[in-house]
Amino acid sequence: MKLNRRDLLKAAAASGALGVAWPLAAGLSPAQAREAAEALGADYDPAPFTLGVASGDPQPSSVVLWTRLAPEPLAAEQKLPEVVEVDWVVAEDAGLRTVVARGTAPASATLGHSVHVPVSGLSAGRHYWYAFTALGKTSRVGRTKTAPTGSVASVRFATANCQAFHDGYYAAHRGIARENVDFVVHLGDYIYEHGQVGGVPESHVRDHEGGATFTLADYRKRHALYKGDPSLREAHAAHPWFLTWDDHEVANDFSGTGGGAPFMQRKAAAFQAWFEHMPHRDSFGDAALPDPEIHRVRRWGDLLELTVLDLRSYRSAQNLSDGTILGVDQKSWLKQGIDKAPDAWHVWANSIMLSQLRGSPGGSYMFTDQWDGFLAERKEVLGHVHSSGLEDLVVVTGDWHSAFVDDLRTDFDDTSSPVVGTEFTAHSVTSGAYSADWNRTNGPRMGRANPHLQYFEGNRYGYDVYEVTPERFSAHMRVIEDRRDPASPVSTLTTFHVDRGKAGSYEDAATKNSPAQYRRD
Amino acid sequence: MNLVVNGDAESGPGGTAEPVGSVTGWRIAQGAPALIDYSFGGGYPGPKDPGPAQRGSRFFSGGNSPRTALVQDIALPESGSTGRAAVDAGGVRYAVTAWLGGYATQEDGVRLSVEFRDAKGTPVALSVLGPVTAGERKGRTALLEREAASTVPPGARSARVLLVFTRSGSGTSNDGYADAISLTLSTASTRNAAGGRS
Repeated sequence: MKLNRRDLLKAAAASGALGVAWPLAAGLSPAQAREAAEALGADYDPAPFTLGVASGDPQPSSVVLWTRLAPEPLAAEQKLPEVVEVDWVVAEDAGLRTVVARGTAPASATLGHSVHVPVSGLSAGRHYWYAFTALGKTSRVGRTKTAPTGSVASVRFATANCQAFHDGYYAAHRGIARENVDFVVHLGDYIYEHGQVGGVPESHVRDHEGGATFTLADYRKRHALYKGDPSLREAHAAHPWFLTWDDHEVANDFSGTGGGAPFMQRKAAAFQAWFEHMPHRDSFGDAALPDPEIHRVRRWGDLLELTVLDLRSYRSAQNLSDGTILGVDQKSWLKQGIDKAPDAWHVWANSIMLSQLRGSPGGSYMFTDQWDGFLAERKEVLGHVHSSGLEDLVVVTGDWHSAFVDDLRTDFDDTSSPVVGTEFTAHSVTSGAYSADWNRTNGPRMGRANPHLQYFEGNRYGYDVYEVTPERFSAHMRVIEDRRDPASPVSTLTTFHVDRGKAGSYEDAATKNSPAQYRRD
Repeated sequence: MNLVVNGDAESGPGGTAEPVGSVTGWRIAQGAPALIDYSFGGGYPGPKDPGPAQRGSRFFSGGNSPRTALVQDIALPESGSTGRAAVDAGGVRYAVTAWLGGYATQEDGVRLSVEFRDAKGTPVALSVLGPVTAGERKGRTALLEREAASTVPPGARSARVLLVFTRSGSGTSNDGYADAISLTLSTASTRNAAGGRS
């Protein structure tokens, strides 16, 4: 059975049912499904390392290396032994000649034949290269970097969020792979759990492989499908990543503490599959899989303290007077971290918008799935930032599929209340934003309704690059021209700066005339 | 040999639906568990409800907390037929079994997971059982058997057993029920690991 992209798209359009052509449609074997996926724009590394390699959670002497053996990436089960031993090697050069560490890790079928190798004994602040060997094959070579120690003159990092597979190709990740950054932070919505959307090729460049995800096999296939975009694998192989998640890794707007047994089954499957596909370092305290512990603090020398938040696992329902988005323990941990924070830039990796956002002046909050649904806790946390004297706070956020720049105030309805930090909410990698008409109308309206809102742009897709020095924190909004083009060129739409010791941001004069649907002059 | 201490809820304080402050063999990571007698009544599982044939006198429940979690860390044997040398040769299998359930048509439940870890604490294998849904129980108060098995990965040195009871909706009682939890090791008849060394 030989399928090509043109015939598949024609068949889908003619039948009106994408399932006729798309991978995992009834009657296709995993191999045929893979062939169909490839014909429709996905591709994979050579087996068994089809899903590529990755590194994560860089520390001064350690990083975590990841891969997963998946000879048939879209199969529910791999035809492999229960355990396959995977050799790994870390070297000082891309040719893997100057080896500094090597070992063997077991890839268990119970964890989807993934491996997570915490490599220790590395030197601080330098690049390393790594590769895996199993079943007589060797993976591509990945590059990683350890965190520095001591005095650091600069750090650059990128954030990515919201990468709906059907909404576009990952030109943004292609851009991230080519950026000179020390690390990448993924802010969530790495996959989407819903079923096929249809409309290929008129409205969507590609589609999900099947229906909504519920089981471990479903989520494994979905993650494997997303990693079928070569730019995502390239970005993972180029830099170490820090990771948090939002709702679509499991289900829309979910709360990690609510729901009955059927949802608990689904959540456990989703969490396990997420772990299996991410360079995530786990096992702290009382935690254990399938409930990975995500929140953590990491330092980049004396320059930057990164606090990764988990806003899904421990949250209550929205709009409760005593509701919580952090959970009791994480909130206490965050506040203690604020109390003992070093003199540095403080960056919070925050999956979902912290700033208040009313849809119209005096109107209701637009989305209470974000921190607007947890008012008392937001006030408590930002009040604690102020009362503790924490300075130089920058919150980097995803979820919204549009770019915002906000002042963080202890009371967003009181313009005389202190500004305690800046929030940069980044464009999405691909996930669809509001229409240009909506943005044109509502940008100024949101500006009038939210005195702390400095900037809004919703017509573009991309990622942010943050450039940090002891004196200044700069946010470069990278945008792609066309998410329907896998190699769409990247440009910088605009740049905002925050000066050290001074709350509030300002736009770079050179890009202040760039297109936007709202900017406060 | 069952490596889980007090997997049958028979040891230590308990007997009623009142939460206990400690559970023999387990660490209370969250919430307030209860160890309830099958003879307690009040709608809780009784001697004749579906459950383990050899059920002893008590079972675990989630007590009165919306989320209750019990943790038990198990060191794998250092020597013997299922000791480290056998594990590292890929010659040991594990089997995890538990009876898990809930109340009538409610969707309270309990999930059992076993995470195998290497000497550094890195997860190397995972089995998750349950939670059992009301549909799986056919809408009646019951505990159903769930099991999983696989090869103990080379390098595994410990297992963390995590029992999480969850309450759905409002109400006080967390009606996830568990009993007869076991983790056993056995020698594999054939080697189950594929070598990657060249």
